[in-house]
Amino acid sequence: MESSRSLTFYDFLDRMRHPAALDIVRSIKSFIVSFSFHAVNSENDSRRLQDFLSTMEISIRDHPLWSGASEEEIDCAVEGLEKYVMTKLYARTFASTQEDNKVDQEISEKIHMLQKFVRPEHLDIHEAFHNEASWLLAEKELQKMNAFKSPREKLLCILSCCRVINNLLLNVSMSGNHVVAGADDFLPVLIYVTIKANPPQLHSNLKFIQLFRQPSKLVSEVAYYFTNLMSAKLFIVDLDGKSLSINEAEFQENMLAAKLELQMNMLPARLAEGETRIDPCPPLQKARPTAHGHFSRKFSEEINALDEGDYPFMEAKFGDLTVGDVEILLNVYKDVVKKHSSLCRSLRSLSPSKEPPAIVLSEYPKLDLPGQPEGQRQQHQQTKEAKLDLPGQPEGQRQQHQQTPDVIDSGPK
Amino acid sequence: MGCSSSLPDRASGQLLGLNHESAGAGANDSKNLRVKLVLLGDSGVGKSCIVLRFVRGQFDPTSKVTVGASFLSQTIALQDSTTVKFEIWDTAGQERYAALAPLYYRGAAVAVVVYDITSTDSFNKAQYWIKELQKHGSPDIIMALVGNKADLQENRKVPTQDAMDCAEKNGMFFIETSAKTADNINQLFEEIAKRLPRPSSS
Repeated sequence: MESSRSLTFYDFLDRMRHPAALDIVRSIKSFIVSFSFHAVNSENDSRRLQDFLSTMEISIRDHPLWSGASEEEIDCAVEGLEKYVMTKLYARTFASTQEDNKVDQEISEKIHMLQKFVRPEHLDIHEAFHNEASWLLAEKELQKMNAFKSPREKLLCILSCCRVINNLLLNVSMSGNHVVAGADDFLPVLIYVTIKANPPQLHSNLKFIQLFRQPSKLVSEVAYYFTNLMSAKLFIVDLDGKSLSINEAEFQENMLAAKLELQMNMLPARLAEGETRIDPCPPLQKARPTAHGHFSRKFSEEINALDEGDYPFMEAKFGDLTVGDVEILLNVYKDVVKKHSSLCRSLRSLSPSKEPPAIVLSEYPKLDLPGQPEGQRQQHQQTKEAKLDLPGQPEGQRQQHQQTPDVIDSGPK
Repeated sequence: MGCSSSLPDRASGQLLGLNHESAGAGANDSKNLRVKLVLLGDSGVGKSCIVLRFVRGQFDPTSKVTVGASFLSQTIALQDSTTVKFEIWDTAGQERYAALAPLYYRGAAVAVVVYDITSTDSFNKAQYWIKELQKHGSPDIIMALVGNKADLQENRKVPTQDAMDCAEKNGMFFIETSAKTADNINQLFEEIAKRLPRPSSS
């Protein structure tokens, strides 16, 4: 179905190159230009797009190029139009406010933390549905969503993800291992898959679909599965210790540990982005807004508890060590150096005199340490690339995005 | 939270629970109704079994495609030659998902609240859903109260009279069904179809 739809998009572009399509091309161009006359406002933008598509649908129906066209052909033309216009207006309409970006970031960080410890049991997902292969497939579909620029294609990614989950449910049901109970079984799996996938810019993608998909197309089954992902998102945003089948204290502990780890990993990235004021110990301040003596002490105990797990040789004597420990020791050593250099950098950026702190990296023997640890620099580059070049995005599709802007431009003047 | 509440409610504005199947250039067809129906109720009361029985009963009973699906649609023909296409939205009944229900019943024309006649808890939960729908559902939503597992008479915990009183008090249609034996399943949907407002044919 997808391939035939893609063909019709090219079919739409072909018709646009026809000299008789000049009036339509003009309308499209002037609509796109007119968008920049108004301040960005997602609701107004949404209404303007829907009005435009409705008007254009009428024009297309009356147009000689589509005379005698079937309903399906008209439908394809409007779909092509939606895709073309939204691809052109993507920068303006997608994640267009700081607030959207903030929400995306918050959700992504929360999911990142949840990923560290949430297991299927916590959502009471029946054992029969534990199927890593299916889950991975569903996750990939969800992650693709961010790579597409048209609302319809983003929506298709959600549907594909839900279809994979439905197939899993269906197979379990047919195997007779478990009586499948509709949404009672579907939603928990979708939530788990969403946590595992951590789809980039989840909030902005959902909002974009809701605003810019033609309302007449966001109905029925499509609307149902879209609503399910909306509710998965809502569940994750509101998720606390009571939302999962997990001891509440255990939940808090896990979240704290995950938060610490996240802050540690983000420190070098934030520094590289030129952030000058860095909180030397952000998790401490976030978790304990009042710098109360008791809480601080309790917190450092928690940190110590975490550290003991990470550094198993603290109590070891020389004679206890074996050759097999060398690898672990090396890893621990690297970890310590990374953390130390992160701390040094943040301290340096905090100190009013730009003097480097007394502890210098050269104290570590035989390690060539540039300004930023190698491993983390790579990591940072990878995240940058991920924004431009998503692994899930099919090659053809990406080219298509790049091509679309030129096609009409090179058409009749 | 998020975009679900910060956006204009397009879903209930234009997508309506009750749509008229548009034919050709968007002409309303008063003979073909499309209806969004949402199922609410505790997990384990047999919400999806009711739907499955309804959908499979009318088609090939060996069809496996629909097993366990959480969205199903089924069209029925009424005596006055009207057809009604039910688009049935199942919801997760576990307690932890209760707060998500408004996303599903928003814009629904029909809400079917299901309990299990052998579980008082599930009947209490049904009453909770009725209150929820009255507070947050669309004002003209058609509500049905369904006591499922009527084949398990010997284990009955919820007297029929209690449920009837509850339904009457809340202006609901009430029926006891058995998804297992198919008792009253078609009647449930036919009764709902009869209660749907008809668009005036022009």
